[in-house]
Amino acid sequence: MPDQPMSRRERGLWILLGVLWLGAVGFGGAKLWSYKTTPGAAAPGQTVWPAASRIPRDGTRPTLVMMAHPQCVCTRASIGELENLVRRVRGRMAARVVFVVPRSAARSWTESDTWRTVQNTPGVTSWIDEGGREAARFGAQTSGQVFLYAADGRLLFSGGITPLRGHLGDSAGQERIVSLLTTGRAEGSTSRVFGCALGPV
Amino acid sequence: MEMDLGEDLAAREGKITARAGELFAEQRRRVFVRVDRMFMGLMAGQWIFGILVAFFFSPYAWEGKERTVHPHVWIAVLLGGALSLFPMLLAWKRPGWIVTRHVIAISQMLWSALLIHLSGGRIETHFHVFGSLAFLAFYLDWPVLVTASAVVVVDHLTRGLFWPESVYGITNPESWRFLEHAFWVVFEDTFLAMACFNGVRDMRRSAQRQAEVEGLRESDELKTFALEMALAEARA
Repeated sequence: MPDQPMSRRERGLWILLGVLWLGAVGFGGAKLWSYKTTPGAAAPGQTVWPAASRIPRDGTRPTLVMMAHPQCVCTRASIGELENLVRRVRGRMAARVVFVVPRSAARSWTESDTWRTVQNTPGVTSWIDEGGREAARFGAQTSGQVFLYAADGRLLFSGGITPLRGHLGDSAGQERIVSLLTTGRAEGSTSRVFGCALGPV
Repeated sequence: MEMDLGEDLAAREGKITARAGELFAEQRRRVFVRVDRMFMGLMAGQWIFGILVAFFFSPYAWEGKERTVHPHVWIAVLLGGALSLFPMLLAWKRPGWIVTRHVIAISQMLWSALLIHLSGGRIETHFHVFGSLAFLAFYLDWPVLVTASAVVVVDHLTRGLFWPESVYGITNPESWRFLEHAFWVVFEDTFLAMACFNGVRDMRRSAQRQAEVEGLRESDELKTFALEMALAEARA
């Protein structure tokens, strides 16, 4: 099955195009990878539940707080993984999602598909944080930032629960929270956070 | 006289074998060209699909109130374009060339990775990997499956080494986790490769039968011609 004959010049041209193609694909792939793996600013979190916070803390079990930007598409993955986490720990924690919105934000801006998903997620309650006051109290800067506080108000964990930016899947953060809630121990108490910047609002 | 008959038979057999080889090569090339053309359309379709996914699902990135075009949109347009255009050019200008189908195999598997990222890691998008391997089996050329699977292996090994969380969801995966993922690709490859071998064998048999039929027809035509000549001589 002989191929069509090819001159040396044509062969050289194909080799050159092939090298350029590999270079372009490699460059684009590196850019994509860099975007997916660059975390947002992580908040160490307040070591105890902020006294000024208006978000209700459960006094009988740990409370998880996730800070979310309603329009951030990366946060869909964080919310998806939160649903998964709530299912896995079966009532061992209370979960709150705090949507950080500008004061003048229109209702349609706040009530995004992410917001609607949270409304339909059993075991999760949502909170609107106009002007980002609660985010500032907790020290959160990135959408998808999660804090887990013990029933007595001590910070147990601070970080994200997705493996990459805007990417569903098991993650070190989620495994650590599950381990803390089921065994009381975990490999670490932080993880990378992937999401849009919450501010300025 | 017996010598002549033996030589005749051997020459006929040789002719039929050579013709069967030609027919097999022609048919194989037709398959390669047809599948190259199919992938040319698929590459264009995937590019458009990738852009639409990025445009509808992640149009903007946000910093508080400020929005910018989401990097997924640029990646879908530029990286998607790079992934599709070179294989499309090869399929257009050099259909049937061995390099064309191996470049298509590499590009198709990279498309799986890109679509997985554009869809935010949805588990359903991972089916694209297995669908692509099945499409590549249309070539009936098992080395193409090896090239495609090698892309998956290199991707898993590299990410497993530098960012294991992105593949396995944990930072210190057990060594067998790689084998678990590889198993499913090898599982599919094994059956697709068998289908390729069977397809090629059937193609070879069909070419052999066609060559034999052509040989018989030729000898019948010769006999008819000889009879007509003899009749014409007798009449004269």
